[in-house]
Amino acid sequence: MLLNTQHQSTSEDLPKGLPVISVEGVSKKFCRDLKRSLFYGIQDIAADFAGGRQHSDRLRPKEFWALQSVSFQLYPGQAVGLVGSNGAGKSTLLRIISGLIKPDTGKVRIRGRLAPLIALGAGFNPILTGRENIFANMSILGLTTRQIRQRFQDVVEFAEIEEAIDSPVQTYSSGMAARLGFACAIYTEPEILLIDEVLAVGDARFKAKCYRRLYELRQKGVAFILVNHNSQSILNICDTAIYLSRGSLMAYGEVNTVIDQYEADLFLTGTERSENRLTFPARLPQESTGIDIRALFFRDAQGEPTQTLLTGEPLSFCLTCESHSSYSGVTFDLRIVKVGGEDSVGNVLTIRGQTDQAFFQISPGLSELQLNLPYLGLSPGTYAAQVRLRKDSIYTFEIVESFRFSVVAHCDVNKCQFYQPRTWTLVPAN
Amino acid sequence: MPPEIVYTPDSLLRRPRFLLWTMWHDLLSSRELAWRLMVRDISAQYRQALLGIAWAFIPPIATALGFTLAKDANVFTVGETDIPYPAYVMFNTALWQTFVDAATGPVQAILLAKPMLARVNFPREAIVLAKLGEVIFNFGIKLVLIVGLFLYFRVPLSWTVILAPVALIHLILLGTLVGVLLAPIGVLYQDVLKSLNMIMGFWLFLTPVIYPVPTEGLFGALVSWNPVTPLIVTIRELATTGVLSRSVGFWVVSGCTLLGLMVTWIGFRIAMPYVVERVTS
Repeated sequence: MLLNTQHQSTSEDLPKGLPVISVEGVSKKFCRDLKRSLFYGIQDIAADFAGGRQHSDRLRPKEFWALQSVSFQLYPGQAVGLVGSNGAGKSTLLRIISGLIKPDTGKVRIRGRLAPLIALGAGFNPILTGRENIFANMSILGLTTRQIRQRFQDVVEFAEIEEAIDSPVQTYSSGMAARLGFACAIYTEPEILLIDEVLAVGDARFKAKCYRRLYELRQKGVAFILVNHNSQSILNICDTAIYLSRGSLMAYGEVNTVIDQYEADLFLTGTERSENRLTFPARLPQESTGIDIRALFFRDAQGEPTQTLLTGEPLSFCLTCESHSSYSGVTFDLRIVKVGGEDSVGNVLTIRGQTDQAFFQISPGLSELQLNLPYLGLSPGTYAAQVRLRKDSIYTFEIVESFRFSVVAHCDVNKCQFYQPRTWTLVPAN
Repeated sequence: MPPEIVYTPDSLLRRPRFLLWTMWHDLLSSRELAWRLMVRDISAQYRQALLGIAWAFIPPIATALGFTLAKDANVFTVGETDIPYPAYVMFNTALWQTFVDAATGPVQAILLAKPMLARVNFPREAIVLAKLGEVIFNFGIKLVLIVGLFLYFRVPLSWTVILAPVALIHLILLGTLVGVLLAPIGVLYQDVLKSLNMIMGFWLFLTPVIYPVPTEGLFGALVSWNPVTPLIVTIRELATTGVLSRSVGFWVVSGCTLLGLMVTWIGFRIAMPYVVERVTS
């Protein structure tokens, strides 16, 4: 199942020089039993102190492999996304790379300064002022006092806390503290950045600013490892991806291919993905939450299923669902983000059935909900939609996290953010 | 291109030269961080207290007052001390407290820094160094009190007082040795911190802090085998009489301390990755 497209797809545009990170057959075992785990810890320390651990490649009772024979390389300026469900070993891998814990087998080579964006606000003391905390935090991240002084103003400006810089951090709002933590971490100016699901801080505007900053850093040749549950952010930032499942490397290579595989595994087996269409297998009534999404696709002006989405043309977004009983007040929400590129942050389009008062009565069996768009306003490009099938405004039947589709244009939409439907007329003036 | 760092499962002891080099390098590079952490901890320590820095003075005064009152009331009898009893108790308590701080400090500091340790790879020595700085700072504050007391009781000083700081450093290093030895285990098992207070309480009884060094019986033997005894006695004698009664014991303990500290430091470095791995998996 190992999919290694690295060599075929990126060999020609592979950055020159040595990899900044090279992970060679790294494994790590953990123990879920606390008492035993602590005891193993003492045992490992004693063995290490006695000159080396024997059989660190074998499992002791109640241990399991949190990571198993993972290998990959990261080159300067490359951004790799790390995807996988909870407990797949993503954070463990990051912690081994940052040298916090030792691998049980294999080797990690690091060339360059590495900064973890895992540790937002590490060492923040709530009693001390923002100023004092910036100094403490950045020196934990490895900067000298001189370097901190030089960057201090940038950090404060980036975090947008000029007026609160001399107040204790405990008086900050959670957003302000998070912004300060992010700003400290990002201004350490490393060669390698490890980012572990921290981009959820702050409001949408600050998030956009973070993404822009990451984009700038990448242009400067900083290499990234980005961990995120949300495959959309990975698609936005990364060119390659690694898919981990239960500690094993399932796929490694070009980002779209890997994400496709990850999402295919994430959905139920039997999910079929073709261009601009997603089909799901039927569920047994006991596995269902009431109504299941069976297909997501589009229809053209004539009502025929289509796989070509044209900017400016009429289009219907269709959701086929299977209900196991009768429900009233059923509707769905659609949140669309653009994938790829610098300006691709935040939602491009959000449509909520509740806002439009579009509630439907669903009877048992298959039904198709249609969202009719007289003109498709999206400009050409790739998009990812989150589809949420709900009842009234509280209960959610099912969520499809990322339904990707691409839009093309026949008309001229150059230099346009969206398609504007229009008519022209000439009227006599009086 | 910065030097390559390699992480392998092999024991660091297999590469002794590399180990010693990284120890030296980390010690140097952690100075600035240690300073920052110390400034952070000390400023935070007194900022949220109404009495502020006065808290550094209150406990030793209370202790000395308590013991002096108790002695005057003949609750317990102690032999003759070479300097007035209140000054004797205050000086010894300050020294003992400094030793206790140096021993419990690393354990507490590492425990407190757990979230930081689990996320950032910074020289772990910085935490211990910061704590050491704090211990010395706290002693400095107590010193103000001791000087005041010595002036009040007109305790004669010997010229050897200028050597006392050297001996004091040995005392602090012995405490640090205990602290660094226990710190990694203390993160894994809470038993360490819980028992540490109890052990320190018992250890205090075996140290000539509130009484002069006993010479007879099992108690006398226990007290003289206590490694803290020669250090505390020597510091006090250097400061006051200038006549050293336990110079051999002092040098034996000092030598063992320096050697032991080196070994403990290596152990600390080896143990920390395993500790971090166990506490936050």
